[in-house]
Amino acid sequence: MPLVTTKNIHYKIGDRHILRDINFVLESGQITTVIGPNGAGKSSLVNIVIGLNTQFEGQVERMPGLTIGYLPQNSKINPLMPITVKRLMSLTRKVSDQQLLQALEKTGVASLLNQQVKSLSGGETQRVMLARAILGKPDLLVLDEPTAGVDVTGEIEMYELIAQIRDGSGCAILMVSHDLHLVMSKTDQVLCLNQHLCCSGKPESVSKHPEYLALFGDKTESIAVYTHHHDHVHSLDGGCEGCVHNAENTDHAG
Amino acid sequence: MLDDFLIRSLLAGALMVLVAAPMGCLMVWQRLAFLADTLGHASVLGVALGLMMSLHPMVGVLIVILVIMLIVSQSMGGKPVAMSESVLAIISHTGLAAGILLLSLTGAANISLEAILFGDLLATSMSDLGFIALTVFILLFLLWQHWTSFVAVSVSPEIAQAEGIPVQKVQFILYLMIALLIAVMMKVMGVLLIGAMLVIPVNAARVFSRGPEQMMVISLFFGLMSLLSGMFMSWQYDLQTGPAIVVMAAVWLLLSLFIKKLNKTLT
Repeated sequence: MPLVTTKNIHYKIGDRHILRDINFVLESGQITTVIGPNGAGKSSLVNIVIGLNTQFEGQVERMPGLTIGYLPQNSKINPLMPITVKRLMSLTRKVSDQQLLQALEKTGVASLLNQQVKSLSGGETQRVMLARAILGKPDLLVLDEPTAGVDVTGEIEMYELIAQIRDGSGCAILMVSHDLHLVMSKTDQVLCLNQHLCCSGKPESVSKHPEYLALFGDKTESIAVYTHHHDHVHSLDGGCEGCVHNAENTDHAG
Repeated sequence: MLDDFLIRSLLAGALMVLVAAPMGCLMVWQRLAFLADTLGHASVLGVALGLMMSLHPMVGVLIVILVIMLIVSQSMGGKPVAMSESVLAIISHTGLAAGILLLSLTGAANISLEAILFGDLLATSMSDLGFIALTVFILLFLLWQHWTSFVAVSVSPEIAQAEGIPVQKVQFILYLMIALLIAVMMKVMGVLLIGAMLVIPVNAARVFSRGPEQMMVISLFFGLMSLLSGMFMSWQYDLQTGPAIVVMAAVWLLLSLFIKKLNKTLT
């Protein structure tokens, strides 16, 4: 049984349509990425899927007993408060020290346990937030822009980490991202959203879909410097494994 | 041998500090310090209205503050934080000015403007003490009951919301508590100095704190020290009690900043 099935979701605020006619399925163990321009309704969709928003038409069927870990968008931690990573982890629920450390180890920030949250970098903060989200060993991990405030290199690492978490725990992941190319290789299903589902499916097919190109194609082309996206990691001497700098690769922005 | 009135005022002051520490922390974390000032100033209007309707001044204050809080939180979808400074300033000064005019119109000879503005801790009566004790007990109970939610909402309303805390309801309770707190503190600190007692000890505590609860406990310490040293100065040099307490609070703040700096240069 799929974890979540949505049927004909319509959502409007006042007279403004935010979402219309959304149908998709989240399967266990799969990474699903929602992409779309600003105001496309990405966060609204996420809120409906996890049950934070119930003011919509249509149906969301969740597997009975489904547990969800959630990393909200722009989850800025109030800098006026003194709070350690440890306390932040157990902010709204009781957690054993062992569970807490395990989660932090998985996201590679166990050493920050007793640090003040406001002293962390953007990347470290998001890793701590990710650790919070996986604390209860959820079936479904929902990440709304998990790389907000993280630089480009950190972004790639973050997506790799998210894929690792999926591989390690077998949980399904639903995440919102603004850049398909960075998440491409790690994603099983892409939902391209602009109030309605423009297209969905495997990343390779979505990236060639005319509606996707209409939304994202022009923009990617207009940034002349960005002739290719970094889909590989350089070793320290500047060389790299598995680089294919050929015409096909430079062209994939469409 | 301590006189009776001194014990009464010490008790009233200590009760106030006891609840001002956690409330002050929450207000500083949520950037509501300026709101406390506004409500404090506007409560002059409450005193005046209370006298005109021959109610207890604290009841008048409570009514006026509740009305302001309702207007404020309604006009901003439950978020006084987002309210512009000028709106708060307008409410603050209008309330103060209108209150003073009303007071002089009612010709209430038995009320001293100075006591309203700067408080009169030493004149704490038995009924005042009872009112303060009751209010403080209610506030402490609510704090104890909702502390986890209050802290979570202060850390991040988004996360709190996502993890099942009814943020709007929690904030509404907090605003009601602030209204109650201001009404009870007015008698002790006076309308002009309420904000100081909520903000200064908390900021002295921030210097040494690594967690929210620790900050609250250290605020309590600084609040008590300010109260005791302020009352001592007032007793010794025949100074007004409220202002003496606030000045001593500022001295403790400077001291804590100095110690912090010293620690840094030494290590």
